[in-house]
Amino acid sequence: MDPVHLFLSNVWFGILGLLLVLYVVLDGFTLGVGIISLFQRKEAHREVMSKSLSGVWDANESWLVVFAGALFGAFPPVYGLVLHSLYIPVMLMVVALIFRSIAFEFRSHGRHKQRWNLAFGLGSLGTAVTQGMALGAVLSGIPAQGGVFTGSIWGWFSPFAAVTALGVLFGYILLGAGYLIVKTEGELQDQAYRVARWSGWLMMAAGAAVSAWTPLRFAYVEERWFSWPNIAYLAPLPLSAGGAFFMLLRALRRRYLLSPLMWSVAIFLASFGGLAASIYPYMLPGALTIMESSAAGITLVFMLAGIGFLIPVMLVYNAYQYLVFRGKVSVRSKGYR
Amino acid sequence: MEWLADPVMLARLQFAFTTMFHIIWPVFTIGLSLFLVVVEALWLKTGEVDYYRHARFWSKLFLLNFGLGIVTGLPLEFQFGTNWAPFSNMAGGFFGNVLGFEGAAAFMLEAGFVGIMIFGWERVAPAMHLFATSMVALGASASAFWIMAASAWMQSPAGGYFENGVFQVQSYLEAIFNPNTPWAVSHMWVACLETSCFVVGGISAWYILKGQSVSFYARSFRLAAAGAVVVAPLQVWLGDGSGLFIVHHQPAKAAAIEGHWQTNAPGEGAAWAILAWPDAAAQANRWSVQVPNLLSLLATRTPHGQVPGLREFAPEDRPPALPLLFYSFRLMVLIGLYLLTLALWTAWAWGRRRLTAEAIAAQRWLLRAWVFAIPLGYVAVEAGWIVREVGRQPWVIYGVMRTSDGASPLPAGAVGASLGGFLLIYTALAIAFAVFARRLLRHGPDLTLRPSPPQGEPFRTGATPPEEEERP
Repeated sequence: MDPVHLFLSNVWFGILGLLLVLYVVLDGFTLGVGIISLFQRKEAHREVMSKSLSGVWDANESWLVVFAGALFGAFPPVYGLVLHSLYIPVMLMVVALIFRSIAFEFRSHGRHKQRWNLAFGLGSLGTAVTQGMALGAVLSGIPAQGGVFTGSIWGWFSPFAAVTALGVLFGYILLGAGYLIVKTEGELQDQAYRVARWSGWLMMAAGAAVSAWTPLRFAYVEERWFSWPNIAYLAPLPLSAGGAFFMLLRALRRRYLLSPLMWSVAIFLASFGGLAASIYPYMLPGALTIMESSAAGITLVFMLAGIGFLIPVMLVYNAYQYLVFRGKVSVRSKGYR
Repeated sequence: MEWLADPVMLARLQFAFTTMFHIIWPVFTIGLSLFLVVVEALWLKTGEVDYYRHARFWSKLFLLNFGLGIVTGLPLEFQFGTNWAPFSNMAGGFFGNVLGFEGAAAFMLEAGFVGIMIFGWERVAPAMHLFATSMVALGASASAFWIMAASAWMQSPAGGYFENGVFQVQSYLEAIFNPNTPWAVSHMWVACLETSCFVVGGISAWYILKGQSVSFYARSFRLAAAGAVVVAPLQVWLGDGSGLFIVHHQPAKAAAIEGHWQTNAPGEGAAWAILAWPDAAAQANRWSVQVPNLLSLLATRTPHGQVPGLREFAPEDRPPALPLLFYSFRLMVLIGLYLLTLALWTAWAWGRRRLTAEAIAAQRWLLRAWVFAIPLGYVAVEAGWIVREVGRQPWVIYGVMRTSDGASPLPAGAVGASLGGFLLIYTALAIAFAVFARRLLRHGPDLTLRPSPPQGEPFRTGATPPEEEERP
């Protein structure tokens, strides 16, 4: 095995992880705000929620485009196999993303704001659920031979996937509530504190169910986690997720401003690290390893020059965007639409 | 209707439909973003507040188009995996990587600055705003470059070799700048500029004809007309070059576009059919109206040059849907020539006397011809895209992988259902766009707008962000 290629493939595994985290956190809170807007009765509040995102949501969704493109280039067989096997949830996710994004763009023009708000909320909900389902299907293993999908078109659906979908759903709601705590004030902010509390508990419950279920269901996970000395190396991940949750509850109780969002992100990072630790060195558990599916060395080097080094630049101007649109949002705030 | 049960045909229709719907929006945002850079720069240079109002007015239309461009672009990227997994597997090492590069280097730039461009007017200084607008324009055009380079590689794969069914890159330079890239990128990019010139100019002409804000719209009309005078002739020249590329690299496609069946004998010229009905079963045109020697002249630049006919190629290597190719090509050429004539007419009118607002408003027929031109650029782009991609058939990677071998084996029902879904949703989107665009245009520009200084100083360094200050 060529050590340079091994190194490059692992670097790209890491970069894809980073891109996925960026997408999940940034679009996660965007989608979360959309879902929370579903059980918001006051039109003026929904207006504020939507306004709080108008300057930044395009870029948040774009991380999915960057992630998909990078996956396509760095691991072409994975791209084809995953998307082919997940035809139905991926198409549903695309439709849901269309609804939520277009509702965003069109609501300011429309005369029937409630309908666009409903499309925005339902689109966000659909996106979260289908993404969670896809996560569950990938963790369950995709049946394939020689990199070609051999399963059924309905194979992605399982009770396990339903639980991961709930986890992702409540996780996004938590992130959305954390964002609203920062961007709003008064009644809306009080509400966001309450939403963050219950969604946090529900997300942790779903997360615990997934964590308990995976080693029971999949031998490869049990082997990875419950053998010495792995357990010593890996134990910090669930422990830090638990610690971050404790800090989140404390921050919510004390009504801190930024920390609820930060601790929610910390829980996401720890869970994400746990997932990556479970599947490595596989890209797709049971189907394709990193080395089996990575593109040739020259491709990975070119992509590193083209995309890898651009990530810090992208982060800088994305951060600048948040700086420009910083501060509380209210119905009459200027500079927004 | 047996194609309804053919999953490959359905997947092709789905990709064709979603691509042709998507293309409408970036065509305008690529051109309009450059127009916005120009009017903003003019505002900063001249201090003329009308240019500021132009930037505000057109950026509303920009946002509407941009949103549709984003949401309709996403299904395309995913379809490579969902519906064309074997193709993705074979080409991904280069093709997917170019798409990733497009996302990171171009699309992200556009999406990252579009928020500031649209909602940041009162939050950043004018020079910073111009910078944001320029980044949006740069991102949009760079995006077009990468997408067209990827598409060009499918037309003329280069820069590596195929091993065990997977493309291995040897030279990125040769793969990105494959033989088709210069023509594909320039012809498409100039098509975006040309379409946008005639949309902006045509809408301005419509307002001037109605007598609404005449002097205001005279400014945008002059800018659009100046652009059209440059790009319309350029596009005809680029179209001719693209045609020569096809003759040299894809002779079967060239013969199919022209309904040219029989190779002309030495010493005789090949005729160009103005109108014809190509019949694949009979391997001939049922009828045709021809100009002698013109095809030889166009394709080889000599009156008797040899042009291979479609019968030279095995039936399974010939493109399908011949009448569609034949007439799409002629429609595109006709529109290109109409727009060229209109640009020249405008230049002539401009040369006779200065185009003051009154002088423009007096040219009723010229203005009507501009209003008529609003949709034509789009029609030409769609027709050209059909010629490019249907003409590429039966190959997905020209000469290497057949389209039928590149499709994911999916049940026809699943692909049919998603295609039906896209048809429904996109129809609804098109209707909503038409309603809102009409409302925007009827409402017209806000001529009371005045630029206001940015609130606070967003560039303070070392200052505490307000989030921290408001911590209870």
